[in-house]
Amino acid sequence: MAPSALNGVKVLDLTHHIAGPYCTKLLADFGAQVIKIERPGGDPARSMPPFCQDERHPEKSLPFLYLNTAKRSVTLNLKSDRGIHILRELAKDADILVENFSPRVMPSLGLDFPALRELNPALVMVSISNFGQTGSYRDYRATDMVEYALGGLMYIFGSYDREPLKHAFNQAQFKAGTNAASAALMALYHQRSTGQGQQVDVSIQESVASALRDVTSNFTYTGAVRRRQPNHSGDLTRLRAVSDGYILPNPGIAARVNWNTVVEFLEAPELDDDKFRTPSARLENAEELGEILDRLFLSKNKMDMFYRAHQKRFIYGVIDSLEEVMASPQNLAREGFVELDHPVAGTFRYPGAPFQLSETPWDGLHPAPTLGQHTREVFSQCLGYTEADLEELSGMGVI
Amino acid sequence: MAAPLEGIRIVEMGQLIAIPSAMKMLADMGAQVIRLESCQRLESYRTDSLYQNDVEGEFWNRGANFYEQNRNKLGITLDLSHPAGLSLLRELVSISDVFTENFTPRVIKNFQLEYEDLRGLKPDIIMVSSTGYGFTGPWANFGATGPATEGASGLAYITGYRDGPPMMSEIPYTDYTGAEHTVFAVMAALIHRQQTGQGQFIDVSQTETATATVPEALLDFAVNGRTAPRIGNEDPQMAPHGCYPCLGDDRLGDDRWIAIAVSSDQEWTSLCQVLNRSEWMRDTRFLSAEERMRHRSELDRLIAQATAAWQNHPLMHALQEASVPAGAVLDAQELLFDPHLRQRGFYELVAHHPSTGMPALPYAGRPWKFSATPAVPGKAAPIIGEHNRTVLAELLGHSEADLAHWEAEGVIGYAPANPTGTRRPSLDEQVRQGRLQRYETDFREQVSRAFGEGNVS
Repeated sequence: MAPSALNGVKVLDLTHHIAGPYCTKLLADFGAQVIKIERPGGDPARSMPPFCQDERHPEKSLPFLYLNTAKRSVTLNLKSDRGIHILRELAKDADILVENFSPRVMPSLGLDFPALRELNPALVMVSISNFGQTGSYRDYRATDMVEYALGGLMYIFGSYDREPLKHAFNQAQFKAGTNAASAALMALYHQRSTGQGQQVDVSIQESVASALRDVTSNFTYTGAVRRRQPNHSGDLTRLRAVSDGYILPNPGIAARVNWNTVVEFLEAPELDDDKFRTPSARLENAEELGEILDRLFLSKNKMDMFYRAHQKRFIYGVIDSLEEVMASPQNLAREGFVELDHPVAGTFRYPGAPFQLSETPWDGLHPAPTLGQHTREVFSQCLGYTEADLEELSGMGVI
Repeated sequence: MAAPLEGIRIVEMGQLIAIPSAMKMLADMGAQVIRLESCQRLESYRTDSLYQNDVEGEFWNRGANFYEQNRNKLGITLDLSHPAGLSLLRELVSISDVFTENFTPRVIKNFQLEYEDLRGLKPDIIMVSSTGYGFTGPWANFGATGPATEGASGLAYITGYRDGPPMMSEIPYTDYTGAEHTVFAVMAALIHRQQTGQGQFIDVSQTETATATVPEALLDFAVNGRTAPRIGNEDPQMAPHGCYPCLGDDRLGDDRWIAIAVSSDQEWTSLCQVLNRSEWMRDTRFLSAEERMRHRSELDRLIAQATAAWQNHPLMHALQEASVPAGAVLDAQELLFDPHLRQRGFYELVAHHPSTGMPALPYAGRPWKFSATPAVPGKAAPIIGEHNRTVLAELLGHSEADLAHWEAEGVIGYAPANPTGTRRPSLDEQVRQGRLQRYETDFREQVSRAFGEGNVS
């Protein structure tokens, strides 16, 4: 079997929760050797719901199981001198160290970048944090929602007449994790040609704020401040309920240049009327149009409409439920979900590779490690520790 | 110090966001990105969101969305339906490291620009095709918008207010998710090529990249057969956890909000203290996390009454001082002038081509800072055809006579063939329609005061 793209890249993973683990999951799934350092009680994500069969168990947290595929787990107590000593030993041999503690933590452990660079001048240290390693909000606290608020995405997201909204779950943290993985490889690319390591500071707030379209630019170009948009019922691209779910219509330029195509596609002769023929007429008669469209769409079948639309190259979209996502013909054809067998949690399907590389296989088929599963293996292989050493460290509560 | 990706050359046949935004990230870090455009088929981002809503003159060089996605690139125009145009593109590929595009597979196949074709020109080429649903499979040739892939990924279905329909964000959100994963994919392929000399084809489905970021819901369904209800800003584990109204002010107007998250008893006590509602601390409905979860609607109602007496920024600072996670819900202007982002130099001043008549303007930078090899100094996206000569004459070695000939033949050009600018309704009209919260007439002065030459942090 061909090697994976990142084979041979050694990653020391001090991350927890979501943003950091998603970064190191991307690295591990594409072939890097990732050693995940867990505190003796384990990554707090091990207690994050939902759980397999709702059983609160450190090996059954579904987010944890997903975020830690293809990694090796080592327990290490960084509150002990021996623990720090061991970490420093491991850092000497790593290409990349990733951490997402709050910015005070690594310096307080004597593990800030200058200290690590002294051990290993080629080390790439990636630090992910809520607001970055500098600036007046550096030590501010956040959840994903707070990042949406301070990242500028929340103000424009949601219904016109309601409170601003965020996406479900942990999008800001996934964005930051992805960005951190990219940045890690950029720094590694440089390291491999020059031998020089460096520190990379990744901010979750900036991950949100760097992926907005026409928000601050609308202000710098015209002085305008966008808000949550009113939902005109006659809007042809508005999300509509159909008989079996929701669809996202998009007749594209046809609505502007040839209204008849739209009338024909919707099988709605009542729309063949000057009241609706032009964009300005439709705006004027939006309410009536909206009522007709609402009624019309409710009589349609989602997938039937979706496929008919694409025959005409109208770029309709489907709003798929979780069940539909997992069963969609596109996902099935592309093997978008893969089955993993975990010794404690069992066997089920996970979201698979986020993209396909033609020559270097994805390596994400290894389930997440149980807590400390690889402690012995890593310490004896990487550091040459004997059984007696390991017994002693275990007795001292270091591992 | 050289930027980390210096020496890498990328040819970009991109449009809108999914590929252009990704290539901007690589250009920022030193890659030479040659952005291909067509005068015959002008990208819509060139003609929308125009500076000062002005559709006169060369308005196609004043579109905000184009500038946001194409910083630090070289821009050339090529008509690929003309054999000479296609041949120039092949020449460029033969001296490049990466070729990227985000059209439907049908387009790339028609032009015979598939990976197998390009490998014949450059054996170690890395090629990226980014599509809505993937390069293969029954939906491969279906065009897609950001909202469509947000819907197909499962993300839209699980997002929304309690008892409301699915919701999507007001931006092409999953285009960015696709772009962020594309940057990672290109870097993984470059690392592999650096070690082995081998190139490859990268097939990015924007839908699949988004699906990769909602495992909580998908695995809950896969394992437990459950689809949890939409819960707005609530959190499955924390209460209170929501977005609450705040006091408006004369300049900013109403529609002011704060996001507050409480994950422990300690934070709950601090919240009560900061809001000056110590009676809540003794209220039996709110004594424990479980009780607060059970009575969350009542709790949200009470908190909303209390926050309504505060402006959001002072309340955020007071709560953060007490270690309660809280954030003012920043609007565009507040985000641009946010003191923390200013201290970090996040918005970066970029000068525009003199012919545009536009002043230097700040644009969002990157989510990362490199200690040894920082990003290159920001250079504005190219005006149309700006680097035809740089690329075709200086880089590929063609003569001035060739360029003149191609210009006469319409193979290259310096202006769109059939430009139509989108004039948006007046700002007053947009406010009336409810599309804008407000507008400020002195925005130029505000921007130049904050970011003008000499003021850049």
